[in-house]
Amino acid sequence: MEMKRATSLVLVSAMAAGLLAGCGSGGAQQSGDVSSTAESTASATSEAATQDTTESAATADTQAAAAEKPEVSHDEEMTFEIYDAAANYQGEQTGWFAKVLKDNLNIKVNIIAPQVAGDAVYQTRASSGNLGDIVILDGTQFNDCLSAGLVKDISADIYKYPNLAAYKKQIDVFNESLDGIQKGQIYGIPCQMTDTSPLTYSGTLVYSAPLLRWDRYKEIGEPDIKDLDGLLDALEAIHKAHPKNDKGDPEYPLSLWADWDGGDGMIGIANVVQLTTWYGEKIKGSAILKSDNTFTPLTDKNASYYKMLQFLNHAYQRGLVDPDSGTQDWNSVMTKISNGQIDLMWYNWQRGFWNSLDRLHNGTAYTFIPVDDQTYYTDSDTYFGSGRVWGIGSQVDDEKYQRILDFLDWYASPDGLRFQHDGIKDFNYTVGSDGKLTVINDNALMDNLPVPEEYGGGGYNDGNNQINQWICDAICTDPTTGEPYNKDYWASFLEDQNKGTMEEWSKKFDATDATDWMKKNGKLLVSPNVPYTVKSDDADMSVIRNQVNQSVCDYSWKMVFAKSDKEFDQMWDAMTEELNGFGFETLYQFDCDNYQGQVDAKIEAAKEAQ
Amino acid sequence: MRKWFANPRNKRSFIEFLYICPFLALVAIFSYYPLYGWVYAFFDYRPPFPLDIHKFVGLKWFISMVENPVKAKQVLSVLRNTFAMSGLNLFFSWFPMVFAIFLNEINCRWYKKFVQTVTTLPNFISWVLVFSIAYGVFNSTGAVNTILQELGITNEPIMFLQSDRHIWFKMWLWNTWKNAGWAAIMYIAAITGIDGELIEAAKVDGATQRQIIWHIEIPSILPTYFVLVMLQLANFLSNGMEQFYVFENSFNKDTIEVLDLYVYNLAMGAGGYSLSTAISMLKSIVSVVLLSATNLISKKVRGEGFI
Repeated sequence: MEMKRATSLVLVSAMAAGLLAGCGSGGAQQSGDVSSTAESTASATSEAATQDTTESAATADTQAAAAEKPEVSHDEEMTFEIYDAAANYQGEQTGWFAKVLKDNLNIKVNIIAPQVAGDAVYQTRASSGNLGDIVILDGTQFNDCLSAGLVKDISADIYKYPNLAAYKKQIDVFNESLDGIQKGQIYGIPCQMTDTSPLTYSGTLVYSAPLLRWDRYKEIGEPDIKDLDGLLDALEAIHKAHPKNDKGDPEYPLSLWADWDGGDGMIGIANVVQLTTWYGEKIKGSAILKSDNTFTPLTDKNASYYKMLQFLNHAYQRGLVDPDSGTQDWNSVMTKISNGQIDLMWYNWQRGFWNSLDRLHNGTAYTFIPVDDQTYYTDSDTYFGSGRVWGIGSQVDDEKYQRILDFLDWYASPDGLRFQHDGIKDFNYTVGSDGKLTVINDNALMDNLPVPEEYGGGGYNDGNNQINQWICDAICTDPTTGEPYNKDYWASFLEDQNKGTMEEWSKKFDATDATDWMKKNGKLLVSPNVPYTVKSDDADMSVIRNQVNQSVCDYSWKMVFAKSDKEFDQMWDAMTEELNGFGFETLYQFDCDNYQGQVDAKIEAAKEAQ
Repeated sequence: MRKWFANPRNKRSFIEFLYICPFLALVAIFSYYPLYGWVYAFFDYRPPFPLDIHKFVGLKWFISMVENPVKAKQVLSVLRNTFAMSGLNLFFSWFPMVFAIFLNEINCRWYKKFVQTVTTLPNFISWVLVFSIAYGVFNSTGAVNTILQELGITNEPIMFLQSDRHIWFKMWLWNTWKNAGWAAIMYIAAITGIDGELIEAAKVDGATQRQIIWHIEIPSILPTYFVLVMLQLANFLSNGMEQFYVFENSFNKDTIEVLDLYVYNLAMGAGGYSLSTAISMLKSIVSVVLLSATNLISKKVRGEGFI
């Protein structure tokens, strides 16, 4: 199921307008914690961000000049086996990206994807002592593999490669945070590092916030929404006016899906877990991190899990929830969104399934509508990485080792990043006389457009980079254009995007985008990005976590569909009792201890910034 | 040694032993070697770390299954579901046999073939697809709800898949829909094997079709039926997990989670490998006991065992 989520995220990250690139699955969203208000991170304005990036690009250049890159012969074709926790595709890379790899480095990549093959592949390969030539793992698993001797020490060579050396600071700090290695040793390269800062938030809309269709919101009189009840009132009004969409299919104010539950060590229904960020809180396993940086158990009735679950239940009691919510999967919801059957969205990337350029222009696109009593939690840019890590397998021979480092260096180079984030020149973008880029064929990914033979042929989406992870995030600045790799930030793109819906929105809310509004009104909590790898569960803890999660999910779903508040509370109490039987208290203590280090690091980072 | 081989009988039996060697090897590799995996039940095992003698925990995982009322209750409810589903299947195990007999009575050749094909085909559809069919037909805007609402029988859609009412029976129905045709093949073969002269003679003696079924066909295929029932009994605790896995959701979990699914959820959910190994180990032992017991009963009742 996790696979579907990642697939959707990948697809949409390319489509969504004004969205911070980065397939925010798991790591990125889970790594952040401590919140510092937007005011305290004033440097986070986009101007400052640009300055930051230009500076670090400059440092990168000097370092590049200093380091001497070892010469590697590309005469012999080589195949790398990549164990890739992020991939949604298993097998050899094909199509246009395969041609890029072949032409530039004379390599082929063969991807082993636990999301496709099942987690058992991790166990069997790990016990055989060879996970892959290259490994891409979640931080916790990476640390385990490091202890088990599956990952190679790359300290001696990594900084000979200029494009990797450009991220020396982040890589060093990240490796120091790993367990059981000496200072100065380098084993891993974080995924999706940025060249901004650990306190910057570059996105135009946080990962989760209430999104309504602009024309519908205007139609019900642009009400000022005070709280969650107000939001339900608004949704009810919209539902009354539009019980069916234009095609005659039933329209639902809210539609939920169950197949993402339990991923990434998360406890509780995935939909609810994300919604808790609307009140400045963040769920960390069995604990909820409150905005004052203290923990409270998930079962706390005064905390946000209860609050958001109750919100969904009230929606159900008022007849605003899609009746299929408990049994359908994300794909069904995706279809409904594309059909215009859902009134409320809450993930920023969901817009990609509806907001086309036409709809943005004619005012029927979905956009952020503030709710007065909410404060939105967001993780900052993934400066020190998203939580996933690249490593080299301990069993590769010298020759392959050189070639892999050479590949990683190319992968982090402006040339490589253009292919990864922007696609093919003259197929996905054109270069103007001023050197800036303009998108062409913007439906290449969505419609799997055929790629001309000279670039490798096949469908664009089929041949897209199946590794699905990057060393540098798309928000990094492309030194040749001075703009981020992510097309959503290109001047040429923004100009077109901001007509219609966003123009009217800006007028009403007096802000350029959602993030801008949140900052101006003190409604944004940015949690600094710190390198921190949580300890993995021991055998006892993983059993407790699993049983607790299943119990929370089962009860939560029943609670969403509870007939009355009384029934809701009875179920909550029954759940709490059952959880205690499974050892919830032990798990809560374990999680608090585990995440306290991360919280401390974030407080420290916020202080330093001040 | 040479003397032993000098005896042609011994020589022949040695050569014949060599013939079955490959099969013995296969059984050893695929049936006995995996039993080595049982050691995981006695350790605190967690990938990617190899087994470590310091993490030997004895019977901890066996005890942890029932160490407090909440866990014991869960295990009991899982067992209850397993018994209920297997029990239902056992109780209705005559169904494919009767189906085969009736099918055999159809005289129109093409219609008979048609029915047999239609009932056998579902066996080849995977459970995942079966569920997508079920979802398409029974969701809130699916065919059934649309028809019910069009006819004015209900106003609100009925959430068939989201309720735990009659879940055991519903699961039996799905299972029967999928398997009945396939299971009938065995009986059809058995019926074809009945000596034609027997039936001719009965007809000459003036037996009606009903009497032929009752006095000739059923007794002839009863041994087949018994063997299949015994095997089913031995597999009492294993009802497979695919069917229940695809139909499972938070609303029906209490009544649908059978032992195999429970083991899967525990192991694959978050790597409770040791605990799930312990459970499946218990399951294997119980299955062996059940098999031996039914064999014993069969010997007593019918005078012959089936293993």
